[in-house]
Amino acid sequence: MSTQSIPPSTRAVRAIEEASIAPAPSPLKVVLRVASTVWSNGKARIGIIILGLMILIAVFAPLLAPYGARQNGFDRSADASAAHWLGTTAAGEDVLSQLIWGAQISIFVGLVAGLLSTVIAVLVGLSWGYVRGFGADVINFIVNLFLVIPGLPLMIVIAAYLSGGGIGMIIVVVVITGWAWGARVLRSQTQSLRSRDFVTAAVFSGERPFRIVFREILPNMTSLIVGNFFGAATAAILAEAGLEYLGLGDTTVVSWGTMLFWAQNSNALLTGQWALLFAPGLCIALLATSLTLINFGVDGISNPRLREGSKR
Amino acid sequence: MTALLEITDLSVDYGEGAGSTHAVNHVSFTLQHGEFVGLVGESGSGKSTLGFAVTGLSKPPAHVVGGSILLDGVDIASLSSADLREQRHGGIAMVLQSGMNALNPVRSIRNHFVDIFRAHGHIDRADWNSRAEELVAKVELPSSVLDRYPGELSGGMRQRVSIALALSLEPKLMVFDEPTTALDVLVQHAVMDTIIELQKKENFTALLISHDLGIVLESAQRVLVMHEGEIVEDAPSRQILESPRDDYTKMLLSHYADPRADVVELPGFEKRVASVSSRTRQKDQKAIVVDHVSKVYPAPRRGEPQVTAVDDVSFTLEPGQSLALVGASGSGKSTLAKLITAVEKPSAGSVRFGDLDVGSLRRGQFRQLHRDVQMVFQDPYAALNPLHTVEYTLTRPVVNFTGLKGLDARRRVLELLDTVGLSPVEEFAAKLPHQLSGGQRQRVVIARALASNPQVIIADEPVSMLDVSLRAGVLALLEDLREQWGVSLLYITHDLLSARVVTDNIMVLNGGRVVERGNTAEVLRNPSDEYTIRLLDAIPNPGRRDVA
Repeated sequence: MSTQSIPPSTRAVRAIEEASIAPAPSPLKVVLRVASTVWSNGKARIGIIILGLMILIAVFAPLLAPYGARQNGFDRSADASAAHWLGTTAAGEDVLSQLIWGAQISIFVGLVAGLLSTVIAVLVGLSWGYVRGFGADVINFIVNLFLVIPGLPLMIVIAAYLSGGGIGMIIVVVVITGWAWGARVLRSQTQSLRSRDFVTAAVFSGERPFRIVFREILPNMTSLIVGNFFGAATAAILAEAGLEYLGLGDTTVVSWGTMLFWAQNSNALLTGQWALLFAPGLCIALLATSLTLINFGVDGISNPRLREGSKR
Repeated sequence: MTALLEITDLSVDYGEGAGSTHAVNHVSFTLQHGEFVGLVGESGSGKSTLGFAVTGLSKPPAHVVGGSILLDGVDIASLSSADLREQRHGGIAMVLQSGMNALNPVRSIRNHFVDIFRAHGHIDRADWNSRAEELVAKVELPSSVLDRYPGELSGGMRQRVSIALALSLEPKLMVFDEPTTALDVLVQHAVMDTIIELQKKENFTALLISHDLGIVLESAQRVLVMHEGEIVEDAPSRQILESPRDDYTKMLLSHYADPRADVVELPGFEKRVASVSSRTRQKDQKAIVVDHVSKVYPAPRRGEPQVTAVDDVSFTLEPGQSLALVGASGSGKSTLAKLITAVEKPSAGSVRFGDLDVGSLRRGQFRQLHRDVQMVFQDPYAALNPLHTVEYTLTRPVVNFTGLKGLDARRRVLELLDTVGLSPVEEFAAKLPHQLSGGQRQRVVIARALASNPQVIIADEPVSMLDVSLRAGVLALLEDLREQWGVSLLYITHDLLSARVVTDNIMVLNGGRVVERGNTAEVLRNPSDEYTIRLLDAIPNPGRRDVA
């Protein structure tokens, strides 16, 4: 087998000793290269730093927060002071501590729900884009169904139905209502990539459809998928805050959304407690912004030429 | 008489600082009134950058770093963008390579003219229609095209429209940047004729930028040859043709030959006469038999007739044979390649490879066919996945078809790279496609096609996207592989010269039908079909201007 399948006319290579043949580059190197690409973009670096800080704050909340999240008994609705930098809530809790503890929920929900809806969008979108015929029509029908149902009412209905489920319930609701749009975007990109010569060439190389979709087509959509992830995470963070603000989540959990819910309930704006409303709102906005900034750097992954251009 | 355009010591850089690239390097030349000058260079020579700088259209990161561009004594580089726009009337106009895509698809052709007339106000509103009709007549189009939309016109017609639009401001200088490169051979010939006629009649100064020395020599009076940002030769066309001084010009000229000649010589293909040399045959090699095959596509729109891409074609590709399939675009030659490789299924007739009925293969059975029938794609920039290294690209077919694994597979990949002349092999294996030149990419594509040790290679215009100087190398490689491995070659092209040097037999397709077939040298020397003669006449011939 081996002697037959190796054709003639190779002078130089025969001379190469087996030992000198180095193995192919490892996947770890590829990941490092991708990471340095994203980092080399100024905007993305700012985004990563902000996101990193927020994650650190969330992780080390027990050390950073001056008080417990639900620890009350302080002066009610107090203004900012040395003891309470951002004042206290109407229930007599420390706002700064709540803000720090609340980061845990918002970031967790954002990342997990974003990841789950992206995974579903990738699986559905890519296979939908590559297959033709009846299978594609079936997927088309299901995705369209999820796209035409208005998101917020559906979210509220599902949340009300699953009431009392806590964070897990919120993640499920966000994922169910959030994957369809990403699937459609990825499907159209798959369809345009499918007709490229290098995909036809992969067929000629004897590749199976599964491998063509996930090794040839998918890497070319990295920026779109990562972009979709950050978009979905942003939407999840906003949806989580929205649902909790409406009181549909577990209102005893401290998150930025429930902080807004309680601030609204206690008419914080009328009593001049701006920090109670603005601090969680700003945090949500900042988190969403950091994710968007990272997306700028992600663009360089799919397009090597863009990357070299940025170095010049 | 003073010169119309005087360029002195012009330099254009891409980017700034240490990492910048000098695209145009201290270039000086002048254009006299009414002159037709050609600017020739291969990709990356800076010819288009120069063209854009002359018209004041340089876009960042390109910027002029030194020298002056004087048009009638006014320095264009110093003009503000508002002044520059004023100057467009009666100044410089440019026709782009993709000029046919520069038309707005939702506005009629008439509206395109009206936009220009309105912006410059140089023509009375009452005369707009007559002026527009006059302009399209100049580029040999009927006035009915004014009410059409760009999507309804062919590529050649659209390029004519963009020339007419450029003419509407009565420019003194017209810059044509590869005006016919994106067009079909026959159309290209016709559009160039229009440009040459137009220049004689209107007497504007023309600067024709092209990679094709043949086109430039047959149209321009004087030729500037550009190489790596510098003008290496500036001489009248006849002198360039008969006694070129610069080595680079000589090298470019050496790649032109008349396919009708008795003996065709190209670098790498010395003294190739019409003979089938004895070649090593692989054991059990099978023939491709195409038997009365037709391919009909459904009508593009309701009420229109069906499109017959391939019409009752039969031929046999014998083991070790090389067959050229030539024709203009739309002649069905690429569809035929798709039918043979099972990408498309025939509407009638059958394609057989040995015992295998290609037309009835299902997706899961493609491997059976692709083990022996491989393809080299037209565009090396699109045929390689930009994110995979050369090694990955070549390893996949090796693993899939030969069953080699690990170090064995890697050794085979390095052998393939050596076979196609990419050494040092280790270095090339680790590269990504964007780090390779067009010629190197095409070699990788060929290496991939060889990975399964195939019996047949189908090459679809393998050199049409490459620079002239790289073409001969890739063609010589295909020819070597055929002689050494006994691979049969189906060579699809519109370029009769390359068909002459790499193939033994030829088939000329027109409208999906075979109009002529036979020994390549004999058919090209004594063509009998009118279509073949037209194709031969459309080849840029450096001597044509002298004859005319």
